[in-house]
Amino acid sequence: MNLNMNSVETLVAQIHGLSGSISDINQLHSLLKQSEDLFQSESTRLAPLLTELDPFMHSLGYLYILDASTSAPISKEQASELVLSIARFINLCAAEQIRLAPDKFTSVCKRFKDQVMLLEDPMRGVAPMLTAIRKLQLSSEHLTTLHPDFLLLCLLAKCYKTGLSILEDDIFDVDQPRDFFLYCYYGAMICIGQKKFSKALELLHNVVTAPMSILNAIVVEAYKKYILVSLIHVGQFSISFPKYTSSVAQRNLKNFSQPYLELANSYGAGKISELELCVQAHNEKFEFDRNLGLVKQVVLCMYKRNIQRLTQTYLTLSLQDIANTVQLNSAKEAEMHVLQMIQDGEIYATINQKDGMVRFLEDPEQYWEKRIFCVDSTDVALEFCFRIMMLSRKLTDMDEQLSCDPLYLAKAGKERQRFDFDDFDSVPSSKFTI
Amino acid sequence: MASSSSSGLTFKLHPLVIVNISDHYTRIKSQSLPPSTTPHAPSASNVADAESSSPPQQSPRVFGCVIGVQRGRTVEIFNSFELLFDPLTHSLDRAFLEKKQELYKKVFPNFYILGWYSTGSDAQESDMLIHRALIFVRSGYTIETVEAERISIDHVAHLKPSDGGSAATQLAAHLTGIHSAIKMLNSRIRGLNHYLLAMQKGDVPVENSLLRQVSSLLRRLPAIESEKFQDDFLMEYNDTLLISYLAMFTNCSSTMNELVDKFNTAYDRQSRRGGRSAFI
Repeated sequence: MNLNMNSVETLVAQIHGLSGSISDINQLHSLLKQSEDLFQSESTRLAPLLTELDPFMHSLGYLYILDASTSAPISKEQASELVLSIARFINLCAAEQIRLAPDKFTSVCKRFKDQVMLLEDPMRGVAPMLTAIRKLQLSSEHLTTLHPDFLLLCLLAKCYKTGLSILEDDIFDVDQPRDFFLYCYYGAMICIGQKKFSKALELLHNVVTAPMSILNAIVVEAYKKYILVSLIHVGQFSISFPKYTSSVAQRNLKNFSQPYLELANSYGAGKISELELCVQAHNEKFEFDRNLGLVKQVVLCMYKRNIQRLTQTYLTLSLQDIANTVQLNSAKEAEMHVLQMIQDGEIYATINQKDGMVRFLEDPEQYWEKRIFCVDSTDVALEFCFRIMMLSRKLTDMDEQLSCDPLYLAKAGKERQRFDFDDFDSVPSSKFTI
Repeated sequence: MASSSSSGLTFKLHPLVIVNISDHYTRIKSQSLPPSTTPHAPSASNVADAESSSPPQQSPRVFGCVIGVQRGRTVEIFNSFELLFDPLTHSLDRAFLEKKQELYKKVFPNFYILGWYSTGSDAQESDMLIHRALIFVRSGYTIETVEAERISIDHVAHLKPSDGGSAATQLAAHLTGIHSAIKMLNSRIRGLNHYLLAMQKGDVPVENSLLRQVSSLLRRLPAIESEKFQDDFLMEYNDTLLISYLAMFTNCSSTMNELVDKFNTAYDRQSRRGGRSAFI
């Protein structure tokens, strides 16, 4: 045992010595990789060694030792201390060093998240997780395994704004498909919480149409929310999938979300009473899926949409008439609805309280908000142009890469019509491997 | 060139004539030179050169007649044709002239022979002999163009390489020209800026005359400053940006569509064309 501890201490000395230049660090990295078993065997006694190391200068060595010492099960008393020490490490570590051992860093952070949740204090984990993501990411377009964990913590801590900041980044590189699914799903939930329904719809759409070979639970739940958010935001839902949806999803998703599709149908019919009946019928299912809040918003949206439709027909209307048309119970309720809509900016109207009349007005800033290409905002326009140029370049690169993919070439050859005699022989068939 | 002549007539010259003369001259020159030396191809601008100064080697002089219409006080020269010139006798081939004249008369019944042309330096003694055969007056001329001719002139002026100018290549050539001009301006200004910074730091001794020159140069740009210009300029700038944005958008959508098709072919288990691949 002592021999082992001695070797561990020599390793620590090595860590001190070899944390200077990049070549030294690479050498250290291979040394550490070889000493994995040593770390595992001595895991219980490694904790005090951490005090000898500096988390910034010796990040790589610190990481290995930290990973080994936290692999053992942790008691609740130790959890708080551990959370503190890991948070400190995350804040102080050097990004270049930890990027050499991303799996170790990810596992340390995951354990951190578990501990934080065990302590039932997700708030403590939000800021360190964000720092961890920024240090692990190769670029802001890179989706790491830590992203969904971070969003989960934000959701539990109700820290939605921090979560939103991460969601602003465009994603181009994904480590694991499961990360992507979870990221989009949690992200959509955060957006729903902040009432940013268009972004939520986009994220849910990404989950539903993502490439997959078999159906997973995340997609099923996402599809249910997708239907609801679509009803809230757009006012309608179409069951046809875009052509880039995987065939697995296209065939199977509908089977799992029958109540929601029925809800969508009755929403489309336009009658409040029918909608309410439908909600009542499937109440338990909605509650089980924890979607009851969203469903209630759908019903509310129905009222809103009906009132909005009135603005296109009438210039002025009495509150009682509104209540009657929209099937509300009283003029008072109608007034509340209209007032709320005016406050949210969904409608432009004035309520005359003396005679209970509502006058619908024109939107004064109808096109003003959406202007990009106008005389006083050329830099905004330029930014849009640059973004789309970058996107175009990325797309052409991907297209070229895919054209060279052997899987694609094999299948493309197979599916060609064999009517031309000249290419009868030259088409690669499945008999020959490429 | 004075617009009014001693005879009280105004003259108009079509560019076709200039092109013809240039072409004639080039042909004769390339035919007369020994095969080892190849003459440089003159452009339309070289016609002026050819007529103002003669090149050092023995350049042939070409002669021809100009034909056109005279309406009252205005003389308009539409076309020209060449004449055979015998350098030994310094006389023109009369028979050829007459035959040519007849031919042109058939095609252009309205045109009369208005004059003659020759390349080279100022009129020499020999020319007077020719001139006596045909009586004319020297005068100035203005150049008038017809739409069709303007296109061909545009072509030649821009020295298009072999493929004929479609609108796209013309635009590209034009924009490339502007782009290189602006690039050059930018690099010059940057050089100036660097120099001034060095002067400020003290690396370079201060030269007041140079500073005065730079300051006068800078006062000349930008050339126009009015508010109306800004408005128009920004509007056109935004229009161009909008068009390029739309174009790139369409391009992106098309690439995306192809990408999706390829992806579906390669990776989707059930092929879209009636399930050829194994069903799992």
